[in-house]
Amino acid sequence: MPILLLEGILLMAMIAIAISIIVGRKLLSATIIYCAFSLAAMILYTIAGAADVAFTEAIIGTISTVYFIIAIKSIRKSSLKSDGENNISDDISEREEDGK
Amino acid sequence: MENKKVMKKKTIGLILVIIIVAIGALRVGKELPTIGDLNTPANTNISRYYISNAENDTHAQNIVTAVLADYRGFDTLFETCVLFLSGIAAMVILSDKKKIPEKSREELLAYHKDSNFGSKLMDGAFRIVVPIILIYAVYVLFHGEVSLGGGFQAGALIACAYLLNRIIPNFENAFRKVKVEISLIAAGIGAFFFVLTGFIPMLYGGRFMEFDHLPFHADTLSDLHADGILMVEIGVTVCVAGVIITILEVVLERTDFDD
Repeated sequence: MPILLLEGILLMAMIAIAISIIVGRKLLSATIIYCAFSLAAMILYTIAGAADVAFTEAIIGTISTVYFIIAIKSIRKSSLKSDGENNISDDISEREEDGK
Repeated sequence: MENKKVMKKKTIGLILVIIIVAIGALRVGKELPTIGDLNTPANTNISRYYISNAENDTHAQNIVTAVLADYRGFDTLFETCVLFLSGIAAMVILSDKKKIPEKSREELLAYHKDSNFGSKLMDGAFRIVVPIILIYAVYVLFHGEVSLGGGFQAGALIACAYLLNRIIPNFENAFRKVKVEISLIAAGIGAFFFVLTGFIPMLYGGRFMEFDHLPFHADTLSDLHADGILMVEIGVTVCVAGVIITILEVVLERTDFDD
């Protein structure tokens, strides 16, 4: 069975979303983009005919996104780079060493 | 300077691994049968039996629920046990952190003085949506045999409504929370109810989870199967809702969001 046009566009979008999650610099924006990934997967499940799975994916996508945000906000800020935000730093030697 | 060289090597290695795995997966994917093909062993043998007999054996028009709770109920039992185990694991992993001390009533009153979202839209929307989601969850649970849904979806919806209520910043709302011990015990009771549904037929001359021998008053055998499916779904719903609420409360009672 040939692949539908909508399925092809969605799969390309999923690859682009996955790459932008890995390459991104802020942790908070990566979490929001993960929610978009969940949405694309849900539309794919609906096109493939599995409606129960799509319903479950919609609920679990929102719950897991909120849980990730709660987990990110509960990291103590004194052990990361001190600019007040959670960033991913490329240069490891710039990080402050905090004695555990 | 050495860190940059090591990171460059790791990046190149990672891209190579991704390309090799992608090429391997694409070549293996050509050997699999196409989706919806009628000649696969699954579609010729067992799916025809399910499609033609699921509504006569159980009163369920949703074949997915009938397969999940009646024909393959044993797998669902172990899925539920693994969910309960993940709730326990979340408690164990975070048991090293200390709990923050609870605020007294006067401190909470001073802390929550005039505290709301800041815009009337969010104030009203959050408070209206929570009971609607709860009613929808009960609907999804009891109509799982006819329309979409079932046990897992209903449990997740109950936990979603609780999460939405927990976010509202209000003085009266600060006491509407569930303790970790209570929600974990509730999840355990849900899983236990599922096992009890499988165990009762054994006392009345049947095998484990054979719904033909349930001691209920019914006209036909398919009514008994429908009763068994309903009890299974209720057990799964309570367990899933308990586990998701447990994981939330375990994180929230050890975190102070004010520093």
